[in-house]
Parts: sequence; structure tokens; C-alpha cells
Amino acid sequence: MIRKTRIKRTWLAAAVIASGSLLATALPANAETGVSASEIKLGITLPLTGAASPGYNKIGNAINAYFKYVNDNGGVYGRKVTLIQKNDEYSPQLSIAKTNELILRDKVFALVGPLGTANFTATHKSVGLAKRGVPSLFLNTGFSGFSNKKSYPSSFMILPSYAMEAKIIAQFLKDNHAGKKLGIVYQNDEFGIDGLGAFRAAGTKFDVSIPYTSGTQSAATAQTWVSQLAAGGAQVVVFFGVTSATAPLLAVAAAAKYAPQWILGSVGSDPLTLRALGVPVAVLNGAQTPAGNPSPNDTSDEYVKQFQEINTKYNTGTAFDDYVLQGMNIGLMTVQALRAAGKNLTRKGLVRAMETKGSTFASVAYSPLGFSRTSNVGHTGYYMAVMDANGDRKPFGGKVTLYTTDSGSGPVVVSTFKRPAMPAKGLPSNS
Amino acid sequence: MESWRKARPAVRKKIAIFVLIGWVLLIIGDRVDELRVYQGAQMAMYTIALASIVLLTGYSGQVSLGNGAMMAVGGYGAALTLNNLGTPIWFAFLMAIVTASLFGALLGAAAARVSGPYLAGTTLALAVGLPAIANQFAFLGGEPGLLFDVGFPPERFGDEFTQYKWFFWIACFIALIAIFVTSNILSSRFGRTWRAIRGNSLAAELCGVHSARMKVLAFTVSSGLAGLAGAVLAMTISLVAPGAYGLALSFALVTGAVLAGISSLPGVVLGAFILVVIPEISVALADRLGDADKLNNYLPGLIVSVLLILSVIFTPNGPGENLRKHRHKKPAH
Repeated sequence: MIRKTRIKRTWLAAAVIASGSLLATALPANAETGVSASEIKLGITLPLTGAASPGYNKIGNAINAYFKYVNDNGGVYGRKVTLIQKNDEYSPQLSIAKTNELILRDKVFALVGPLGTANFTATHKSVGLAKRGVPSLFLNTGFSGFSNKKSYPSSFMILPSYAMEAKIIAQFLKDNHAGKKLGIVYQNDEFGIDGLGAFRAAGTKFDVSIPYTSGTQSAATAQTWVSQLAAGGAQVVVFFGVTSATAPLLAVAAAAKYAPQWILGSVGSDPLTLRALGVPVAVLNGAQTPAGNPSPNDTSDEYVKQFQEINTKYNTGTAFDDYVLQGMNIGLMTVQALRAAGKNLTRKGLVRAMETKGSTFASVAYSPLGFSRTSNVGHTGYYMAVMDANGDRKPFGGKVTLYTTDSGSGPVVVSTFKRPAMPAKGLPSNS
Repeated sequence: MESWRKARPAVRKKIAIFVLIGWVLLIIGDRVDELRVYQGAQMAMYTIALASIVLLTGYSGQVSLGNGAMMAVGGYGAALTLNNLGTPIWFAFLMAIVTASLFGALLGAAAARVSGPYLAGTTLALAVGLPAIANQFAFLGGEPGLLFDVGFPPERFGDEFTQYKWFFWIACFIALIAIFVTSNILSSRFGRTWRAIRGNSLAAELCGVHSARMKVLAFTVSSGLAGLAGAVLAMTISLVAPGAYGLALSFALVTGAVLAGISSLPGVVLGAFILVVIPEISVALADRLGDADKLNNYLPGLIVSVLLILSVIFTPNGPGENLRKHRHKKPAH
């Protein structure tokens, strides 16, 4: 009897504590989540620490630096824009947890630049971004599955899809490396398989094909890749993975004096990050890579020049590289999107503005933007570039030859598109 | 109705209490915001996971640091069933129990030969190694894992019925059944036998108890519970991935069980509550300390470790257990 009373008491106490804590909060009534008279709250999930963080960990601060610059110059219709960064360590389950925090606790208005294919796939499903109508702008992933407007009605890409990238590299291989033995190392998830499928569709046949599982890559693993590539006699090797995997591959290859023509996918080819991860600069010399943006060192470019100035003042001490450039550009495009959505900012209005006006936004990348009522595809093309002994990037053949295509069976064409000019002082005035 | 009348009054009372708790939870789920609903689902998951530790350690006296790994087995079992066979969701949860129980039986057979720190070491190795194995096999989805989609809530619940409320309902329903079944097992012949083995294995054997067999049985039942918790965890994040079942989870569970009182089944609710609250505390702390973006991911682990150390130093059986004993010593009125 005593035991029963005890159990009942404990249950009662536990239930009271549980229900008390759960009832402790109430929903605040808001006109639109994350928007007040003075502030627009945005959120991003990205790896700030962990194996995949080098490079990517700069994007959030770069976006924030641009927002601070805009805020110091009047904000967006008088509202200051703030960005809450959450560290997902490039892990899908953390990404879900952190996105939950952003949406349920921090109550952000929209997500900006969430990073990683597997992460966003899991997050979109788990958190129910589409059902909630939370706009997810400028995804830092090129997975062509995200271009499915029906499944991802409130998400918008910025990068050309991996399928587009692979098609453009396939065309480049055909035009410039015909007859050579080809090898590929790719990340064995949606990211790499997306690219591999497009290579196959384009008729590219690789003599050596090495998939690797997403995650931390050791030098020992890279050694097996290099051995397979060398044994297969690969003269041109395409790498379709993240920078933390490019680094051991190139470092091990350099040590083994294996020097094929490297073609590094756009995701894993940032020179500064590679060098920081211990890759000898000499290995980068001559590596070819598809690129969407100008080189971050090209101060003759109006976008780069403006962003460098902002970086110096608002992101002090951070070296200006591709990631910072990309972050600033996401900031620039986000501000244009917020302005385009009007003073009476709503999530629906932002999605509508992206669909109707998004294709006209100024962006540092050379290729056209594909946003429309039926498409959430961002940039649609690349030019091929060559890295020099300092890791700097120059257009292949001396001038930018822009290729555009789609993620499907459309052809790869040379485009004459001229990107919009940088808004005066880097401050958008669109509406 | 006839069987209800035939049931013993104690069982009838227990069923009534569980139905009442379920009803209260339903009301709570309707009244609180989505974040709390989501945390409620997590709490239900932790409740099941902690019950598996209480059964194994508190009752049969076997120390396991590898419950996170058993949760992984259950999670992957459920996800592979759901994704490959397209079965109803309840069957996926059932398979989580079956898969983890089978695995637990195998492990239990080996574990019955060792005890104390050796058993803890063996299960710790499991907690470290098992989730990482998933990285090596493509059919397990590598580091990104596999999606585990229980689907949207039924349309008849209306548009206002959110996905997280659906998770909360399912998780609470499963937790109530799991705890009901566990409490019955623990108050049955098996529970008494396990306690006898924990008290004095030799004396229990002299009374005719097959100690090794009963230990394997405890491992099997406990693993089944952990596997079920693993599938509920997978549901709440729509994903099974090695990172979700890492060492940190196993340690958090041990801490939760110790704080709740290792042999107290009702205490698991308190333990689960503490585990859900820790990330909240860490967010508040990180905000105060600055550099919240980076600190946030590491503070929960630190808080768990500190709580475990403090608990072991000051209340070796856990504060929950001390409270119970304190109450027990009070003179009866």
C-alpha cells in the first residue's frame, strides 16, 4: 500500500512538473512572424565548427556584414535586417534541430542561405518548411531536386544545379580533353549523384569512377583514391565533392607526385580554404574549375570592389575569398528580395516577389537568374576558369565564356547575357 | 467489458491512471505552442529510453553505456522497414522493437559473461562503434542517413493540426503503452527475479533462478524498449543518421537515469524532463556568455557531464533515489 501511494505521488509530481513547464509559454500574437516595425529577423544554418566548416563558416558573418552596411544606411524601408546563425556542423539531424530553434524559438521571418543538400532535404521535410510557408532564400546547394517547384514552393536556389555544372564540365571535357582517360571522385549522396547522372546523360564515360561517403575524409582514404586513379591511368580527374575532401585528395596526390589535369567542381575549389587545409599551392596551379562568380581578387569588378570595401569595414580581419564574396552576394540579393516584397512584409509577399521580380535582381554571378512563377532556379550557368600558382582564378582561354543550360536535357549554349550593374554604393533601391 | 470486470483492481486502476494521463497530455498538446509540443514529443522519447535503462540497470543490475546504440538499431530497423517495404507506420515501430530485441539478445548473451566495469566497457565500445558503422554502408545512407517519414497528420484533424502535434500524439501514445507494459513486467515474476539477481546473484541461483538466462532476457527487453525509443527519435527528426545516436546521447541517457533515480520507473518522466530542459538552459547560458552560435552545440554535453559528476559525488544513486529513501524514512501517519 505504501509503495502504491509512493508511485502515485511520484507520478503526480512528474505530471505536474511536466504540464507546468509546458504550459509556461504562450504564443505571442504577431502581424507577421519575425517582422516588427524596426526589425526583420532572418536565420541561417551552416557548419561553424567541424570537418566541413572551413570556408563555409565565413558565409554567415559575410551576410551579416552586408546587412550591417545596409542597416547603417537606412535598412530596408527603415527596418534593420538581422541574421541569426546556427551551427549545424554539416549534420542533417543538427540542421533540423537548429532550424527548429530558428523557426519555433527565435521566430525568424525567413531562412537565408541554408547550406548542404542532405541537410536541407531533411530539414525541409522534418520542419515542414513548405507547409509553414517559411521562405528559404538562396539555398547554398545546387541539388537539382530543389528546383521542383511543387515540392519546394517557398524555397529558392542561388547556385546553378549540380546537374547544370556537370553538363557544362562534360561539354568542356568534350571540347578540350577529348581522347584522354577520365577519372571522377564524387560524394556518394544527392550532391554527387546529381552530377554523375548529368555526366552519364551527356555521354561522358569515366575510366575510373570513385564514390566516397559524405563525411570526414582521412589521408589514408585519399591514398586509396589516388592509387585507383593512378592505376587506371586517369589523365583528367574530375572532383565532385566538398573542400574538406578536396584537400586530402590533392595533398596526397602531390606527395605521390601524381599530377593529372584536375577539374575541381565549384563546391570544393576555394583556393584559400584549400591552402589553409594544407594543400600545396603548386598543386592548384593549372587546376580547372567551373566558376559562377568573378575571382574575389578581381578588383576591376564593381561588385568585388564594393564587397571588399564592406568586408574591410564590417567584417574586420576576415580574408576576402569566394565564401565571403558569396555571403555578401546573398546579402545583396536578400535585401533586393525584401525590398521587392514591399513595406507590408509578409512571407507570402516575399515568395511572390521572388517569383515575379527575382530574375531581375543584381548579382555578382555572370549568368542569368531563372526565378519565375514556375521556376525556383537561381543562376543558370558557369564559365570555366584556371587557377594559377597563387591559387587565384582566371577565365580559361583569357576571357569569360559563359555557358548556360538547364538541369534537364536542354543543350549547353554559350551565352551573351550581361548581368545587371551593381546598385549605386552597393545599396539596392528596387521596389 | 467482461475482461475489464475480471481484471484485478490494481490493473484496472493502473489502466485508468494511464488513460487519465493520456487525456491530460492531449489537452496540454492543444494548449501550448509548437516548440513545447515538439519538446513534449522528445520528452516522451526520452521517457521510453530511460525506462530501458531503469529496467536493465536499476532492476537487473547490469550497467550499460550503450543504449544510444540500441536506439540506433531500432531507428534503422524502423526506417529500413518503412522505406523498403512501405508498411504501415505501426509495423515500422514494431520492427524497431523486434530488431533491437534480437540485437539485444545477442549482446546479452555475451554480456551475461561479464559484469561491472567490463560490461560497461563492452557497451561503451558499442555506443562508440555501432552508429559509426552506418557510415560504411550505402544502404544505411552514410553520414546523412535515411529519411524516416511517418507522413502528415490525417486531414480530418484540420489545417491547424501541425506535424509536430502529430509527432507528439504518436510519441505520447507509444510512451504510455511502453511504460504501462514495462511497469507490469517489473511488478511481475520477472521484475522480482531481476531484483533478486541484482541483490545477490548467488542467493538467487540457490533459489532456483537461472541467473544468466534472466540477464539475457533483461538485455533483450531493455534493448527492445531502447529500439522503440530510437524509432520515436527518428520520427521526431524525420531521419535516422549516425550522428543522432552518438556517444553524447548514450551519456545523456545515463545521466538522465541517474538523476531520476536508477531504479525508479516513475522517475523516468523527471529524467526525461531534465534532458529536454538542458538544451534550453544551454541556449540561455550561451546567450549570456556570447559567441552563442558556436558554444550552443557544446554546452549541453558539458552540462550533462557536470550533472553526472556532481550526482555521482553527492548522491551516488541519484537525487531521485535519495528523495524516495528520505520519504521512506518518514514515520507513517
